[in-house]
Amino acid sequence: MVDDTQLPRFQVFVQGKSNSPFLDYGSVHAPDAELALLNARDVFARRPECVAMLVVPTECIFSKTAQELLDWESAPVSEAAESRETYHVFAKPKHAGTQTLLGQVEASSPEQALQLALERYKKPAFAWWVFPARLALSSQVQDIPSLYAPAREKHFRLSVDYKTVTAMRKLRQTDRDD
Amino acid sequence: METDLKNTLRELLIALADDELILGHRDSEWCSHAPILEEDIAFANLALDEIGHANLWYSLSAELEEAESQSYVDRIVFWRDAPDFRNIQMVELPNGDWAFSMLRQYLFDSAEIERLNVLAESAFAPLAETAAKIRTEEHYHLRHTRLWLRRLGLGTAESRQRLQAALDQLWPYTGQLFELPGERDHLLGLGIKMAQASPSWEAQVIPFLSECQLALPAGARRALNRQGHTRHLAVLLNEMQSVARLDPEAEW
Repeated sequence: MVDDTQLPRFQVFVQGKSNSPFLDYGSVHAPDAELALLNARDVFARRPECVAMLVVPTECIFSKTAQELLDWESAPVSEAAESRETYHVFAKPKHAGTQTLLGQVEASSPEQALQLALERYKKPAFAWWVFPARLALSSQVQDIPSLYAPAREKHFRLSVDYKTVTAMRKLRQTDRDD
Repeated sequence: METDLKNTLRELLIALADDELILGHRDSEWCSHAPILEEDIAFANLALDEIGHANLWYSLSAELEEAESQSYVDRIVFWRDAPDFRNIQMVELPNGDWAFSMLRQYLFDSAEIERLNVLAESAFAPLAETAAKIRTEEHYHLRHTRLWLRRLGLGTAESRQRLQAALDQLWPYTGQLFELPGERDHLLGLGIKMAQASPSWEAQVIPFLSECQLALPAGARRALNRQGHTRHLAVLLNEMQSVARLDPEAEW
């Protein structure tokens, strides 16, 4: 096997509108979270809609599929309140769905966070993701004008902005007519 | 508008646009050559932004001339030769390595924001509005290049040495960053007070460069006018204009 010489991978979550949940959009490579956030903007927010992004090292995501949950024995819930921290909880509703932010739980381990999430959200999911909010970096409201808003006016990024398709159709039509 | 002011304004718009166009073209040369895929996309975006800004300035100039915008811009971009371009020399230099391109982008964008701050206060409303619009995007560019410079400067011995070499080469050209065409009085007549821009730029750039462990070169910063160019501009234009000149009648 060839060693992976790429930079660390960060999972990217995008919020389309201020009242909609963060959705998993894919991943980028970056030396750190700060650059990952900017790279994510260029890779995934070139077109509207986006008002916020959140990145987290992919390796920090604790994940279980519905299949894996069948024989998963959750860890005993620690009572040590001081070690608790906030975890983001994502779930993918069905096989072809997208990991979607459901909310946050306070837990002292990823296993416990998942356990709490299963109890709280009580819905079937194809897969669950949890990770500590501490390890994630998200863009701020004041970033919108420079990071995301300009994409709205960049029609040249959309394929419909180019007449090539119509031009090709015309050319083909002329060929046929000849 | 008085003829003198109008001439100054036109020269100013062309100078601003040429800076953006030539830098944007240089940036576009990184497309498919950047160190990682994500940076490749980021830098290609940045190139498009700069060319988009050039388009805004050229279009404003077309409006001033009461010319049809698209054909005016095409003519001015693809049918002028090197001596007629008014960009500063820093932007026409070949890309060098990643450190060089990142540093050039930083030096230019940080100066551009200062220029835009001044232009956004101009008495000529279309100029002021365009400046304010471009400025929001430049803040993102600056954020991107600052992150990289810090990582290159504080990274390995090689990355710092490459960044220092880039600074040694680029620093003399920074004397041109605030050179604008037109009589100072005419610019003042348009409400453009550029005198404050350069000191304000130095006040933020010099400490940042030292934060990146870079030594400021001792040599003079050359305050050249915008008529002169390095030999690199003609080479760049030869490539940039080649397709348009193949078939002047072609419709795009």
